Amino acid sequence: MKVIEIKNVVKIYNDSEVQVHAVNGIDLSFEEGEFAAIVGPSGSGKTTLLNMLGGLDNPTEGDILINGFSVSEMYNGIEKHRSRISPVLKTIFRITIIPAVIRGIVKLPDIVKRMKAERKLIDFRLNNIGFVFQSYNLLPVLTARENTELVMQMQGVSKEMREKRTKELLGAVGLGDRLDSRPSRLSGGQQQRVAVARALASKPRFILADEPTANLDSKTTENLLDIMEQLNKMEKITFIFSTHDARVVRKARRVITIEDGKVISDKKTA
Amino acid sequence: MNYIKIAWRNLWRNKRRTAITTASILFAVFFALFMRSFQLGFYDHMIKNAIESFSGFLQVQHIDYQDDPSLENTFICTDSLINSIENRNGIKAVVPRIEVFTLASSGNQTKGALVMGIDPEKERKLSNPENLLVRYRMTRDVMTALGKKSKLPLEIKNKLEFIKNNSYTNLSTIAIDMDIEEEDNQEFLDIIGETAEIPGRYLKQDDDGVLLSDRLAKYLKLFIGDTLILLGQGYHGTTAAGIYPVRGIVRLPNPELDNKVIYMNISSAQVFTGLKNRVTTLGINLDDNSEKNMLAYQELLNNQITDPTVVVKNWLEFNKVLKQQIEGDNQSGQAFMALLYFVIFFGIFGTVLMMIHERKREFGVLIAVGMQKTRLAIIFVYEMFLMGMLGVLSGIVISLPFLYYYHVNPIRLRGDLAQIMENYGFDPVMPLQWIDMYVLWQGLIVAMMVVFACLYPLRKVVTLKEIDALRV
Ligand SMILES: Nc1ncnc2c1ncn2[C@@H]1O[C@H](COP(=O)(O)OP(=O)(O)O)[C@@H](O)[C@H]1O
Ligand SMILES: [Mg+2]
Repeated sequence: MKVIEIKNVVKIYNDSEVQVHAVNGIDLSFEEGEFAAIVGPSGSGKTTLLNMLGGLDNPTEGDILINGFSVSEMYNGIEKHRSRISPVLKTIFRITIIPAVIRGIVKLPDIVKRMKAERKLIDFRLNNIGFVFQSYNLLPVLTARENTELVMQMQGVSKEMREKRTKELLGAVGLGDRLDSRPSRLSGGQQQRVAVARALASKPRFILADEPTANLDSKTTENLLDIMEQLNKMEKITFIFSTHDARVVRKARRVITIEDGKVISDKKTA
Repeated sequence: MNYIKIAWRNLWRNKRRTAITTASILFAVFFALFMRSFQLGFYDHMIKNAIESFSGFLQVQHIDYQDDPSLENTFICTDSLINSIENRNGIKAVVPRIEVFTLASSGNQTKGALVMGIDPEKERKLSNPENLLVRYRMTRDVMTALGKKSKLPLEIKNKLEFIKNNSYTNLSTIAIDMDIEEEDNQEFLDIIGETAEIPGRYLKQDDDGVLLSDRLAKYLKLFIGDTLILLGQGYHGTTAAGIYPVRGIVRLPNPELDNKVIYMNISSAQVFTGLKNRVTTLGINLDDNSEKNMLAYQELLNNQITDPTVVVKNWLEFNKVLKQQIEGDNQSGQAFMALLYFVIFFGIFGTVLMMIHERKREFGVLIAVGMQKTRLAIIFVYEMFLMGMLGVLSGIVISLPFLYYYHVNPIRLRGDLAQIMENYGFDPVMPLQWIDMYVLWQGLIVAMMVVFACLYPLRKVVTLKEIDALRV
């Protein structure tokens, strides 16, 4: 069964003087249970692609289906309620409070609709996608246990279930004895393992990890990948991660190489 | 893990900044409370001095008396009028008075004076001049005699300088002015008392003598038993003249009045002025001094009095000077507080902005993994609220002992400051008002500032684009 379908996706950044085609026509799909690496040099468009896969960004062209749900459609649901006004008016509203308030009141129904659409998208991410970022994944004021529990709490999972699953997951990533440590007391590798446990906690359809080992030494990198591979098998969960590190690539069962926003090879190794 | 707990922990991520912001709120509340207590206490003090124990909160007057306080604008005051007011519930005192300006003289000295014709018994309930009777006078002779007393230790003698030339109604005030403990120095105070004591008594009901205010007595060089000569204009342009023995000397807290008041029996004053059964005013004090109650009684009494030439006025009407003084001071005080709070507001606002800015990436991560923006906003509001409340509550808690102390032990001013206050006509004491609803107001104002300081940052949170926040 297909978890993700990428259909001729293009992402163009317009915010500098030159247009940047960060992703330039990609067609891909991912099956359930995959353990796939997206490889490419810095600036090749890995992060841009992963963000769109995670519903964090909207493709300029084409579409992405996550579990059959269209990311473009969800974004259009938000954007269509965004009122467009000229920059001059915008500045006037910004510096004069009363017209801004009146405008706010007039636009309230739109604002409410937009926020509703946005809530839907955030909830969609909460329930379907796990994220592991390159660094600073965790809330510094929460312990490993609390960081892992937080997403389940947002899902409304009962306290007993939360506690049970947190212990299981942190045990599985080898941190059964560091449950009550805050991130500042954990090493970089340990922090990334907590992030993996948190990504799994919400029982998502797949986990996206953008260069999760970029800040780690080779031994901890190996260790983190072993854990991810194990969980991929145990929990039957799809892992898609990006990297430009050859050692990481070796572990992947599918390697997608991109350059200048285009797929140049897509190999299954096992 | 509840969200308030997260907020609390977030608050202490940057301990120093939170401490500084909290402290700024604390000091703002502290200063505001202190200043406000001083102001309110001072207004209270002024009203006590000038209204409660002098003019009364309400006065029955001839309708033209306020504009032209002459003997022509007086009214006939019968016992039945006094009784009918006195017998109402909630009335504390009703005192008939004749107030008239005359010339007072003795020997070569002559001075304008204010004769106050009073009913000695009734007056006890309002200004009670008996309490003001001077019992000790620190004249030069007294000081010399005290200087020779071998029983007085040197340190006490040195402090005699503080009370030189003053007059006192009791030993406690002498102790305060000398800056010594009354209990520990009872023995010495007794010696000072014995040496400085003067005779003098309050007016009897049919007395034909007078009480002289202290400064006036000093100016006229009159003492108890001496004779005072009064000369002025009486009712319908007649000449008023009389000779009166001095029965006692009184010290009025208001120095301006202390320079001119002469108390005499109201019947003597009626004879002196030819007013017969007329009076200038009928002063009234109430059990409940609130403005609301005062206005209610004013209306009640105005309805009772049928004579169209007689009205009841409240002190805000007949003492406009004091009213304006209080209002003016109140406004400048509030302007100062507004300024203080304005500065604090920007302190809070700056902290909030920094907090948002520093945590942008963290917010991005939280929203990416599924936290709703509204929830994030709520956590943020909790944080600000906790910080605000911490500042307000600690500000109040720290203020209370100070406020209480200075409420119980009013600051007595000395030297130039005291002189300034006396020139304005007030006893140089700075009492603090004890806590009241205004404490709650301070809390509310700071809470509102926190809310306002949060608005812009909250908008930032709600409109945050997670993709941009993650790129930080
Ligand atoms: N917000 C943005 N605005 C403009 N250009 C961007 C933005 N984000 C990324 N890019 C550009 O898009 C290209 C791809 O970037 P990215 O997806 O981050 O690559 P990678 O993750 O492989 O290093 C780069 O040239 C980068 O400069
Ligand atoms: Mg990248």
